[in-house]
Amino acid sequence: MQQRVSHLRRAVVAEVEDINRLIYHVLRAGVVVSVAILVFGFVLVAFTGHSIPDRSIPPRALGQPLYTFTPEGYLSLGVLILIFTPVVRVLLSLVSFARERDRQYVLMTAIVFANLLVSFFLLA
Amino acid sequence: MSIAVLLILAIAAFLAGLAGSYLGVGGGVFLIPFMTLALSVNIKVAIATSLIGVIATSSGAASVYVRDHLTNLRLAMFLEVATTLGAIAGALVGLGVPDFYLYVVFGVGVLYAASTMVRVRETAKERAYRGGEESPLTQRLKLSSVYFDQEDQGVYRYRVERPVAGFGVSAAAGLFSGLLGVGGGFIKVPMMNVLMRVPMKAAVATSNFMIGVTAAASAFIYYSRGLVDPGIAAMVIIGVFSGTNLGTRLLVHAKSSNVRFVFALFLVVLGTAMVARLFFPGVPI
Repeated sequence: MQQRVSHLRRAVVAEVEDINRLIYHVLRAGVVVSVAILVFGFVLVAFTGHSIPDRSIPPRALGQPLYTFTPEGYLSLGVLILIFTPVVRVLLSLVSFARERDRQYVLMTAIVFANLLVSFFLLA
Repeated sequence: MSIAVLLILAIAAFLAGLAGSYLGVGGGVFLIPFMTLALSVNIKVAIATSLIGVIATSSGAASVYVRDHLTNLRLAMFLEVATTLGAIAGALVGLGVPDFYLYVVFGVGVLYAASTMVRVRETAKERAYRGGEESPLTQRLKLSSVYFDQEDQGVYRYRVERPVAGFGVSAAAGLFSGLLGVGGGFIKVPMMNVLMRVPMKAAVATSNFMIGVTAAASAFIYYSRGLVDPGIAAMVIIGVFSGTNLGTRLLVHAKSSNVRFVFALFLVVLGTAMVARLFFPGVPI
């Protein structure tokens, strides 16, 4: 039974293009790293006696709070990493469609990526 | 925010992540009312936090579904073009029409989808490939796909129908999610399942994959306007991530007909709340 299942699964894997593995790792890593940094931020809250911050730090001003190990810095960094995980995923899809020379999907992914950039830089 | 309140929030986020990953929605529809009503968090902060929760649900759950080949990557990318365009249009020009029309349209749409999902139980027979002509656009974009279902250890090949209609509804869903801070999964899942005839589990997985991208665009806008409270957001991310670890495991082994039934119940509650809003304007979502 187990063997049959793995056989069927392989059949599916072979048919669906296998960038899946890479996307899995990127999405997983993004969340896990983000959660680890956030937990570290709460550890800093517990040990430094800072109160839990209630305002996020803009990306440009992150250097100083990270360097001085304040909870504000690490909690903001964790949140930012999470926000950018889907963006990295879209970029990755762009590369993989380009490698497959699938022009239609390169175009579509590029539009999605451009839309994300528009909302990050023009609307923010 | 006291520690006790943050812990309550983490538990709520866990449940939102669990339900969100099982149903293919971001969990924003649960978190926003909970935060504003039970914890009296400011609505803008609640929306910002919810968007971040949506990204956490999406990345946490979608990674598992992509690995298990439940997600239709091409279909997701095709529809994301529409959702991101819709979201930008929403942010730029607003709606132009009073938003209660949107509530009526989606409220009724959601209730209709719920009734279809209850009437037709998705058994293996309904999931199986149907003969006949594939629409030219589906063929051209290679949207149809294949997935492996743990429920009966079967491989299902399915055909995606009505791609143009799906594209249009996705654009509207993008508009809606940018305005309300939800991922729009409650529109995408029934749209794919009922309208485009994608099998339920594949629809849940694909929706989960998509909502993160839509939410990321809006979340960064809220972040840069200083509306993200990092303490609250961090608790929500941690809670949601733990929830998705359980929810994904449940979905992969679940019966499709059960997932459909639970989703239909969820839509009935949501649709009723949306329609009720017309008569009682205070009802959140």
